[in-house]
Amino acid sequence: MKNSVETTNILGAQLSRRGFVKAGGALFVGFTLLDSKNAQGAVAKNSLDPSQFQSWVEIHADNTVILHTGKCDFGQSSLYTAYRQIIADELEIPFESITAVIGGDTDRTPDGGGTFDLLGRGVMPLRKAAAYTREAMLELAAQRFGVAKDKLTIKAGVISGGGKTVTYGELVKDQNLKLSIPVAGDLTTMFGLTVEGDPPLKPVSKYEVIGKSYRNSVIPAKVTAKEKWVTDVKLSGMWHARIVHPATLGSKLITAGQVDKTKFPNAQVVVKGNLLGVVAPTEWEAIQASRQVAAATKWSEWKGLPGQPNLFRYFRQDADWKSTSVSRSQKSGGDAASAVASAKKKHSATYEMPFMKHAPIGPTMALADYKADGTVTVHTHNQNPQALRGQLALMLGVPVDQVIVRLYSGPGHYGRSNGGNAGAEDEAVLLSKELGRPVRVQWMRGEDFQWSTQSPAGYSDVQIGLDANNKISAYTIDHYMPAMQDDRPVGAILAGLPTMPAPTPGGQRLANTVNGNSDPWVYDGVLNLEERAHGTYEVGQRESPLGVGLRDHSMRTPGQFQQNFPREVALSEAAALAGADPIQFRLDHTKDERLTNILQRLRAESGWQTRSAPNPKASTTGNAPVRGQGVSVMFRSGSYWACAAQIAVTPASGAIAVEKITMVVDPGVVVNPLQLKRQVEGGSMMGTSIALYEQVEFDESGVTTKDWRSYPILKMADMPEIKVVIVNRPEVGVYGQGSEAANALAAPAIAAAFFDATGKPARNLPLRPDYVKTLLKA
Amino acid sequence: MTITVNGQKRDVQSSADTPLLYVLRNELDVMSPQFGCGLAQCGACSVLVDGKEVRSCVTPVSSATGKEVTTIEGLPARWAKQKGLSGADAEKTLHPVQQAWIEEQTPLCGYCQSGMMIKATELLEKTAKPSDSEIKAAFTTSGPSAHLCRCGSYYAIVEAVRLASTIMAGGAK
Repeated sequence: MKNSVETTNILGAQLSRRGFVKAGGALFVGFTLLDSKNAQGAVAKNSLDPSQFQSWVEIHADNTVILHTGKCDFGQSSLYTAYRQIIADELEIPFESITAVIGGDTDRTPDGGGTFDLLGRGVMPLRKAAAYTREAMLELAAQRFGVAKDKLTIKAGVISGGGKTVTYGELVKDQNLKLSIPVAGDLTTMFGLTVEGDPPLKPVSKYEVIGKSYRNSVIPAKVTAKEKWVTDVKLSGMWHARIVHPATLGSKLITAGQVDKTKFPNAQVVVKGNLLGVVAPTEWEAIQASRQVAAATKWSEWKGLPGQPNLFRYFRQDADWKSTSVSRSQKSGGDAASAVASAKKKHSATYEMPFMKHAPIGPTMALADYKADGTVTVHTHNQNPQALRGQLALMLGVPVDQVIVRLYSGPGHYGRSNGGNAGAEDEAVLLSKELGRPVRVQWMRGEDFQWSTQSPAGYSDVQIGLDANNKISAYTIDHYMPAMQDDRPVGAILAGLPTMPAPTPGGQRLANTVNGNSDPWVYDGVLNLEERAHGTYEVGQRESPLGVGLRDHSMRTPGQFQQNFPREVALSEAAALAGADPIQFRLDHTKDERLTNILQRLRAESGWQTRSAPNPKASTTGNAPVRGQGVSVMFRSGSYWACAAQIAVTPASGAIAVEKITMVVDPGVVVNPLQLKRQVEGGSMMGTSIALYEQVEFDESGVTTKDWRSYPILKMADMPEIKVVIVNRPEVGVYGQGSEAANALAAPAIAAAFFDATGKPARNLPLRPDYVKTLLKA
Repeated sequence: MTITVNGQKRDVQSSADTPLLYVLRNELDVMSPQFGCGLAQCGACSVLVDGKEVRSCVTPVSSATGKEVTTIEGLPARWAKQKGLSGADAEKTLHPVQQAWIEEQTPLCGYCQSGMMIKATELLEKTAKPSDSEIKAAFTTSGPSAHLCRCGSYYAIVEAVRLASTIMAGGAK
């Protein structure tokens, strides 16, 4: 067994992890020609052998290439654009040679892993596999030509040397090639497999395909109704199901309602523990019968949540922050406490962020086909199908090779399933097993708000000290947030079947309450720094007789949004205390060249007025809009981001209009400018939505948010003008990330702009009119 | 019951109160309208009924009898008929709204975009050259609810509607 240490930023400080070789494991020794497939025999049934190059890069005799990756497309376009570009460059083939990218299907892809950090750790296994493949092709050509490998050249899939040429297709034609690729990791965990070793990667200076604005190949199918969506899959004999979820997040089933057969002659009730499903041959009968059954079903009562209005009081007074170890950031140092105490001026404040929903436009849906032989195929839309496979096998008590997960296009859900379930998949499997026929479970809108995971609420206490020169002499921040990653499938919990553990202070990896410092400190001019992240149980998790509570899950920039918002808003307020322009104030506290560059670009591109906040015209009263500007920055996954928001506040109504968002991004190597621009625009919209509208409402029993009226999101008429500035820094050598970070920047910039416009600090989200009016009266 | 979908008369077996969405998707295999909320709050299920955008998730199929239902599967033929295209030209020509949606790379996840394209078609058939504020109003206040996109493609939609308007007026892509 070989240890591999993985690092990731998706979970903040839980950075150092060990995985074990479960498949492959041989060292790369060039290539060998064998005449038997799967000679190693180490691979589970219904999986591709990740140690074989063909499992990753399928080269056909006609020189077409098909890629296989465990990652999925959720609208990022990466699989269809950036992945093809990166691999085309690595393989030295034209972009167009890659005719298909197979993503996610557990029986047709080799590596697994969640769909996040797609251009970083996400693409690296495939990229390395491609590099190994390219080297093997050179070796094959060297043998064929009788020419040393280092005398060969490749261009557009044609290898030349010694006056001869050969294509990849000719090299693989009628051959049974075996190339052993070293692999490590665990296929069905959140992080999947990695490809080991260091095959020579193509230098950035030689890129020909990367950097161009290729089109997303899946879009024509989506706009002409030719794409097969998860919602479109139909199987022979399939029935439709609706779940009657418990009355509260802690209710147990007392009596299941019966179907009124006079109205719904074909419908049936299926009960397994506290899981109650209603199935019927047609969808409309299933919907109506489930409503009738729900009305006739009795659940125990439960009240164990603090209720949204009391949430932050509960966090301060009742939540257990002591049992979970506190994470101190790597950059923390100096003596911040003393430096704050002796500061000339001090900014001290608390910032609060509510629970938010991923809120996919389509509620979660899955179709399961459980066969008499004990195998099951699940058709779904998920960010980590191999992890889902593992969870379903755990629930059923069977080996993973009895579970296949097939992936389709579906509504984006922004991180909710990167640990392996979005909801409904487990319920579909249990109902299909019970009925002996394929069952399609579609959650309704209300269920998707009330029974899915959410992005955790949190609060942060900040203290900033300024010295006699109005520079930051000390910065301390304490972040408080419940456990962020709960990957237990809720149907399995309700059915009383095995799941991974709930998060606890001493729990295993991905099932503990420790929070890390996700937002890397970029203001290296601050010498006394103390950043601490505190964790606790999910709200209601221990109180609920079901063990459910308000389950949390990563959303786009998990934890980092919750930490970046208070940090960046506080810095803007500290700039005001210093009488400094907030962009200049940031520049004055960093020597980081990339950060400096994007802040200067932001100032030039956004129409920024260089001055301190608040705006001299700031007002808290009247019907006339008052205007403000605000800035925020973020460093994530090798990318630097800066955002300026220009807003108008109407004091009398409390309405905020976000008039313009300018986003400057330096991702290092820009893989596809057009697709990046669209992703940044989209993220900016979602970020504006978070700033202005979004908050999960809940009472003492459960989530009361149930539809798009109780969970309003940004509408087109309210969208800001958006300017995206992309800074290409190929010399940095990393591919940055897309809209997930764009999503996080708008809210702190908008809150800072509110302060500029009104002179009143906005420290909580969302900035709805009622809260705005309260702030203006304060 | 018989309803006309994308120019074809189709027999319907579902009960009269079944929402049009489920009849189209489950019985007639017309898959482009998507289930989003079942509450007429998002627009993912929008179809044209006699040229007007309706939410198929709350529209009983019985109310569509004798009327012309159009989904994005039927947009190319609708455009061909409006332009008098025939034969090979009609076969290979997408509706300008579809052309623009591809050209502008508008969809992100794309789940809402069928409804968005239906709304755009309704708008452009009434208002050939909409202003930006008319576009925003069409997608926000003209129907039972705003058309919602969670990925945030609104800016790309506005650009695509502008381009579709140009294409429909005979301008270059």
